[in-house]
Amino acid sequence: MAAPTSRQPLTRAERMRRREWALLTTPLVIFLLLFLGFPTVLDIIYSLSQVTFETLRSPRLSGLGNYGDALTDDAFWSACWFSLRFGVLTAVAECLIGLFLAIFLAPLLEKRPALMALLMLPLMVAPSMVGLMYRLVLNEFGGPVPYYLEMFFNNSPAFLDADTAFWTLCVVETLQWTPFAFLLFYTAYEAIPGETRQAAQIDGASRWQMLTLIELPLMLPTIAVAVFIRFIDGFRVFDNVYTLVGSGPGGVTASISIYIYEAFFKDGAIGKAIAASILLFVVSLVVLVMLSWLARRRKGAIS
Amino acid sequence: MKILRWIVYVVAVLALNFPVIATLVTSFKSSGELSINPGLWINQPTIENYLAVLQVSDRLNIYAYLANSFMVSAIGTILAILLAFPAAYALARGDFGRRFLMPAIVNLRAVPLIIFAIPIYMMYQAVGLLDTQLGLGLILTIVNLPLAVVVLVNAIADVPVELDEAAKIDGAATWQIMAGIIRPVVRPALVTCAIFGFITAWNEFLFGLMLTTNNAVPVTVGASFFFAASGGGVQWGLASAVMIVGALPPAILGLIMYRQISGSLTAGAVKG
Repeated sequence: MAAPTSRQPLTRAERMRRREWALLTTPLVIFLLLFLGFPTVLDIIYSLSQVTFETLRSPRLSGLGNYGDALTDDAFWSACWFSLRFGVLTAVAECLIGLFLAIFLAPLLEKRPALMALLMLPLMVAPSMVGLMYRLVLNEFGGPVPYYLEMFFNNSPAFLDADTAFWTLCVVETLQWTPFAFLLFYTAYEAIPGETRQAAQIDGASRWQMLTLIELPLMLPTIAVAVFIRFIDGFRVFDNVYTLVGSGPGGVTASISIYIYEAFFKDGAIGKAIAASILLFVVSLVVLVMLSWLARRRKGAIS
Repeated sequence: MKILRWIVYVVAVLALNFPVIATLVTSFKSSGELSINPGLWINQPTIENYLAVLQVSDRLNIYAYLANSFMVSAIGTILAILLAFPAAYALARGDFGRRFLMPAIVNLRAVPLIIFAIPIYMMYQAVGLLDTQLGLGLILTIVNLPLAVVVLVNAIADVPVELDEAAKIDGAATWQIMAGIIRPVVRPALVTCAIFGFITAWNEFLFGLMLTTNNAVPVTVGASFFFAASGGGVQWGLASAVMIVGALPPAILGLIMYRQISGSLTAGAVKG
């Protein structure tokens, strides 16, 4: 990517070209400003104001009180903690299972690519629907899982009470999104050049050595990307948790997204909800900027 | 070893798709059978649940939900491509926007959407876009844009610049190059964007929940109405049939087009 060696006077043709590039991106930029930029500015103003649903049009500036409300709310911190734990655990579980499936099933899938379709099916089903489906699956009267557990073990635990709901949700999320990790890993695995494998074989590498010394190191960048994407998606989880249990008994399953949603729509605590969403925005921004800075530095170090 | 791989494959498919399978089975059971047989076997298959779902009542109207989902997904898909394609051309061919616009769009995918949901709700309330198909469609455009831009920038960057230059010498304007030369070459990428965008938009839930109440309710939100509908306990057969009907369009699209979708998922991830 050639950064413009600026301060040299641009020729007329170059100026025309630049104007053309700008023109082509203008609709997109206007759209983004209108639907993301403007709301964000609005959000910041509201976060510093005293607002209720009645005074939405005329917010009164009130300083940082809303942020104080959010930061001193125990429910806010417990939602952050839920999201963090949920994101980490599901990302790790999904990537471990996905990695195993990708490598173990590769010989099968290379010969019959159509087998992929059924493994990818969970990705096509709306997470909100999957949450509703588990209401049926786990229902104590009429759900197949409790039915079979009763039949074989004479005992079926409560899946969605205060102690177990978190783990049930982790399993639900992991089962739906493992195919995503699997897909990335399978693609990366297939992209390893045949010569690399042959060279290792000629050098007498065992299957295990091939895996740990050649294949996994080559897949490492993909693994990092997959863990990151799955963590982000787990951290901001809303749909399936909301449709399966809402914020759960005593709010134990309120993710940060559910916390903000409920503060806004259920409790009408607009200021607090908005302050919490701005905090979330700032944290995401800082993390994303840091990550792309790191990625660029590593790229620079390699090349 | 080969048998072991098949076993792992079958177990994985069954486990990952378990909620769908259980719902599918339940949707073909009468409420009488369901109360004595909650297992995964159907003694007397019936389509009465589907007939009941397709019956319109004044509170539940599956046709309206499906039509809403279709319309908002169509808006969200087509508009995203229309906005992304020219921008992707500029991003791929010029050094324009690489420093700020591109990273901003790519990172948009990693930002929790709930952040924008509240201000957009307030903005929509002010301009009367709440509970409209257009309003929800515009937001789904935002949801679809990042991946559309990434996929199209990658596709256009793979097209040799010589094609553009030859056309330019022949006196073609930029829009002619885009429409006449680039568009046919990157057709597969456009199809991928369309399919994946449609599935993503159809399956979206948070904005549907927040921005619609009555007129523009998509099927992901409407499905949950059927759970509360019967007053007493949930009618599981009916609820299952609703979920199958609502999940079917993206599932069928995905099963047929799984190859394009895996391409778009991995492209987005590698650049993300």
